[in-house]
Amino acid sequence: MQRAIPITVCFVFGFFMLLQFFVPHKLSVLAYENVLDWMQIIFVFTLLVGAASYIRLNTKKVVQTQAGWGYNLVALAGLSLMVILGFWKGTGENTPFLWMFNNLQAPMQATMFSLLAFFVASAAYRGFRARSWEATLLLLTATVVMLGRVPLGNLISHWVPDTANWILSVPSMAAKRGLYIGIGLGTISTSLRIILGIERTYLGRR
Amino acid sequence: MQIGTLIAAFLTLCIFSFLYKDNPFYKFAEHLLVGMSVGYILVIAFNTTVTPKLINPIFQEGKIVYIIPGILGLFMFARFLPKYVWLSRISIALIIGAGAGVAIPATIQAKILAQMQATMIDFATVDGIIIFVAVATTLAYFFFSKEHKGWFGATARVGTWFLMIFFGATFGYTIMSRISLLIGRMQFLLGDFLHVIK
Amino acid sequence: MINRQLIFILIALSVAVPLVIRLGLPNYVTSEVMQVYEEIDQLDSDSVVMISFDHEASSLPEVKPMAVAILRHCFSKNLKVIGFALLAEGTAIGDQILREVAAEHNKVYGKDYVFLGFRPQYQAAILGMGEDIKRVFPQDYKNISLDQIPMMEGIKNYQDISLIISVADGDMPAYWVDYAVSRYHKKVSAAVTAVMATSFYPFLASGQIVGLLGGLKGAAEYEILIEKPGIGQRGMDAQSVSHLMIILLVILGNMGYFLRRRFTG
Repeated sequence: MQRAIPITVCFVFGFFMLLQFFVPHKLSVLAYENVLDWMQIIFVFTLLVGAASYIRLNTKKVVQTQAGWGYNLVALAGLSLMVILGFWKGTGENTPFLWMFNNLQAPMQATMFSLLAFFVASAAYRGFRARSWEATLLLLTATVVMLGRVPLGNLISHWVPDTANWILSVPSMAAKRGLYIGIGLGTISTSLRIILGIERTYLGRR
Repeated sequence: MQIGTLIAAFLTLCIFSFLYKDNPFYKFAEHLLVGMSVGYILVIAFNTTVTPKLINPIFQEGKIVYIIPGILGLFMFARFLPKYVWLSRISIALIIGAGAGVAIPATIQAKILAQMQATMIDFATVDGIIIFVAVATTLAYFFFSKEHKGWFGATARVGTWFLMIFFGATFGYTIMSRISLLIGRMQFLLGDFLHVIK
Repeated sequence: MINRQLIFILIALSVAVPLVIRLGLPNYVTSEVMQVYEEIDQLDSDSVVMISFDHEASSLPEVKPMAVAILRHCFSKNLKVIGFALLAEGTAIGDQILREVAAEHNKVYGKDYVFLGFRPQYQAAILGMGEDIKRVFPQDYKNISLDQIPMMEGIKNYQDISLIISVADGDMPAYWVDYAVSRYHKKVSAAVTAVMATSFYPFLASGQIVGLLGGLKGAAEYEILIEKPGIGQRGMDAQSVSHLMIILLVILGNMGYFLRRRFTG
């Protein structure tokens, strides 16, 4: 029963949402809108479960004074502060919640990702080698695109941006199109397997 | 200078300190960031979705039917109770099943038919022929039911060349993207914080 | 081999120096950015444009300039704007950007623009708005019922929307194509981070999206079109010099590789 119920739910809702596309009757649209609503409501609980799991993990480390527990305390303090400020004073204009987001969270997050600029440059220097025909093709394309998409490329010659634009809209675009068609076929077969209960990995091992 | 700018600059430098090596300042900022992000999501998810989509309809508008997704949502918390973890699978099954159901017709239309149609047109131009060859050979490369040997192997090899062009272009754009993020942080440090640039 | 720390210093300098000493390199506009501009420019005043902030704070330096430039164009054309987010962090960012740009153009909340907040589960949110926007968002980010917002009067679903623009740092525009374009035949434009840009050229070529802005460069191009220089254009010198620096590093790396191979066999 523990596996039969989820598989049945999956089949019923999956089959209905698929069928609904071809049957735009008033009643079917009404049920369809309800299911869409339910999906959003249930999904938001997955975010809440994620947050609860994070709190549980960090609290455990702090309580058991595991190695680096001070950092877990910092994480819990940051989390608590956002939750208290958000629920107490709201999240809109001129709220402490938004101030914290603008001056702490957003700058840290943007900086974290900007670190990649340094690492990608270092990786390009160390690993970007013209070892084979394929690697040379990759390297040349990257170089033309990097030059062609900035003002400097246009300053060298109009051929640089023109070539970059051609690469993007013809061979690169076509390869990605091939990938999309492949992904599309894969999505359809996986979706059918899920609805029919053949693909059950989402149920876990037990 | 505003206190907010000072704090933002300090935390920015804490994270940049990782470029030298992993250190307590970086670890402090890293944990603070993750904690705050989780707190942020909790508040936003509750205020903008749980309240208007679940609590208000049930308690203010008396729409009893919303109790069903509410209970299914609460089932998600059964993941913390090993004995009742199967309840959470019912909720996951609904989202995955319904998601798969809507994905099938959408994918057929958007990713297969429309893309194939766009590939078939314009055989009169060189670009049109290149696009057709690139799409066909890329698909051949991902067809593993036939061994990549002989004429089919050669076709698949041409597909890898087009894939390399795509990966090269994407790599070029990735560098562009990462540099743009660094420009943003530099503009903050040199402008808002140090006032070297206006 | 060049030391890793030296590479980091070179990259930092190649970004910082052009920001301090401006080179003023002339930028140019690509056809995909022009398409977005033309699509918005030909809309009648009071047409409704939806802007979905489908991104996190990590990509703020790229997405904010694009969103600001597009919104400036929309408000200067007196278009009505509905904003919302399909990723949580886009909520605070979208709300602020909308408010800032609306204030520049003396636009009034509820009359000229609204911000609806965040909605999870993109499939259900995109499909749901195709049927009834008020059902997906019963109230706005300020907890005001949409029935009480004058601008939302007469707006039921995508049929009342002229254009949807997804400002994204992931593949959300692809889902807009899957669900809003395919099912509801709605026009969708994309403004994405550069790292995602190459993924959307197939949709651009097939006409499934109308125009594409790719990162800071896309923002800089849009700023040229609306004749309002901003963060995008200011960053283009630094972008050029740092790209050149990385290309030089790659050339140096390859020279070292080939010389080593020649002398060591």
